[in-house]
Amino acid sequence: MASKLIGTAPREAENPYELSIRQAFDALESKLRPPFALTVPNPQEYMQLNRAILYGVLCEPHFAKVHIKHLHAIVTDGYALFVSLLVKVVKELYVKLFDSVKNQLIWVTKEMINVSAVGFDGLLVSLLRQIVGGDFSDGNLWLCFELVSLFLGKWDCLLEEESLVLSSALYTFLRLLADHCRLLTNSKLDVLKCLEIDFCVKMLREQFQLCLKIGRDLIRLLQDLVHVPVFRAIWKDLVLNPSEFKTPGFLDISQLYHLRTSSRYFLTRITPEMETQLRFLLTHVKLGSQKRYQAWFAKKFLFGPERETLIVDIIRFICCGHHPSNEIIQSDIIPRWAVIGWLLKSCQKNHVETNAKLALFYDWLFFDESVDNIMNIEPAMLLMVCSIPRYIDMTHTLLDFLFLLVDNYDVDRKDVISRGVKSAFATLVHKGVVQSLDVLVSCKTLSPYLKERLRKIQVLEVGVPNELHLLHISQHSMETFNLPSPTPCSETEATSKNWGIRIAN
Amino acid sequence: MISLKELSPAAQNNINTKFIVLDKMKTVAMEGQNKTCLALVADETAAVHFQFWQDECDAFEPGDILQLTNGIFSYVRKSLVLRAGKRGSVQKIGEYTMAFVETPNMSEIRWVPHPNDSHNKYVQESVISSHSRIFPPMP
Repeated sequence: MASKLIGTAPREAENPYELSIRQAFDALESKLRPPFALTVPNPQEYMQLNRAILYGVLCEPHFAKVHIKHLHAIVTDGYALFVSLLVKVVKELYVKLFDSVKNQLIWVTKEMINVSAVGFDGLLVSLLRQIVGGDFSDGNLWLCFELVSLFLGKWDCLLEEESLVLSSALYTFLRLLADHCRLLTNSKLDVLKCLEIDFCVKMLREQFQLCLKIGRDLIRLLQDLVHVPVFRAIWKDLVLNPSEFKTPGFLDISQLYHLRTSSRYFLTRITPEMETQLRFLLTHVKLGSQKRYQAWFAKKFLFGPERETLIVDIIRFICCGHHPSNEIIQSDIIPRWAVIGWLLKSCQKNHVETNAKLALFYDWLFFDESVDNIMNIEPAMLLMVCSIPRYIDMTHTLLDFLFLLVDNYDVDRKDVISRGVKSAFATLVHKGVVQSLDVLVSCKTLSPYLKERLRKIQVLEVGVPNELHLLHISQHSMETFNLPSPTPCSETEATSKNWGIRIAN
Repeated sequence: MISLKELSPAAQNNINTKFIVLDKMKTVAMEGQNKTCLALVADETAAVHFQFWQDECDAFEPGDILQLTNGIFSYVRKSLVLRAGKRGSVQKIGEYTMAFVETPNMSEIRWVPHPNDSHNKYVQESVISSHSRIFPPMP
């Protein structure tokens, strides 16, 4: 019998997973109607019954309640198996599911939350991952709507049972709002936007300690929304009135700077299919043979009016979520920096390129060897160094951007940023990613201004990496470059100063 | 299952293999209702020209991983192509995640009958071109 779960293109092989649950349903169909058998199934039968019920719930909306009752009656594992089967449906089949099945999927997800099923948080994360950044298609906006409604509707329950999943949702919806607030509005999008704003504001205003779990990338996402009044207000409080958030111990925004963001959050913005392709590219494709793969990836995921905003998410994923083994690093497989170079070159819009460069350097700004991972900052360094022979413009643009960040990213906490970048350079040299900064400092084609700034960093490198010393040098270098000293500022100034990088670009 | 490097021309529908589609030409209508489309396909060992037939022409795109069952590698109007033929079939089994090489190209090899073989076996005589002359490698 043809699948009621997924659409299969002509001349496409059957999906083995879909086949396994469909066959279970076909085999057990007669047992899926009341009265249900009272016998206790053995493990093999239990597995088959779970598969059959899953197929029934998803493909027979009119019998869904019967199937769920059946499940409640037989369950002996806290729904762990059923939820893991659902997660697999989302991961492997979501894009091919019929619309009616997608409706059922949301319905059964809510059921799983109601019974506090084991692993329902993972199910929610897998659904969040199916929302594609930069995609304004009806199907994608529908999923945004369903999920944001679910997170608002099940708020209390989620807060009590699996509060961390709310932080993943916040990361997702803040990122999506950047899309949804940039585009010209239409009534359909407006409704969605309001719900997304409601959810994010509720999180930030009421559950800030949960928001802190995201770490520094929370700031990066919020910056993209400062043009929206409610977020501007939140931003001002973050900068000027941290006590507004009623979170003991949160005294300054720089505390967030020092919290490295877990790769879990970056993964929420990459669909499993993108992840598979990117990881394949970075583990199997030799440098020099990547052109066709890049073209296929771009055609599938990056073409379309707003799709290129995904590049920012992908760069965060590559830097922080995909760390190759030493074996791969020493092989002829395409390195991460080369893929990032290609992605940067693929940016057509200025705001995307700026955000992509910020994504690449973000961990540099707050780098602290004791909490940060050198693998997160390695791609930017290698991209700058390896671009010298043939793409000096790339080296130039990146270094220039980095120093622009040092000067403008947060004028009131310039010492923090300055220290972070210096520590990043020092660690990269110390750990042998590059032998020294000479390769940049002695580069003939690099501008004298950039070389001068690098030299200042190099001087520091030789010195003792002692915090007092660092602070001293950082003040010294600020004087050298004749930069305006931090001054107490009004609320609006604080915002515009922290927003400086965007204005400067 | 054989790898593409093991292909040699034969009038037999017995080739089972797996490959990734690298490139595809425009579909051309042959005499009557028939459509064909030439493609470059490859696996980890070699590349070859593949001739899609009828609805196969629109069913597959570059980046698709295909499985060929009971296919045939033979001359069609003087050019050497792999195809499903009347008795074989070709199905999409995945996308993207397959490594490939573009040389040698089994369609760009001059084959001659085996000097002392009665079963119409062919052996490689010379390489006409290291890469496909129809689908040049991406710069």
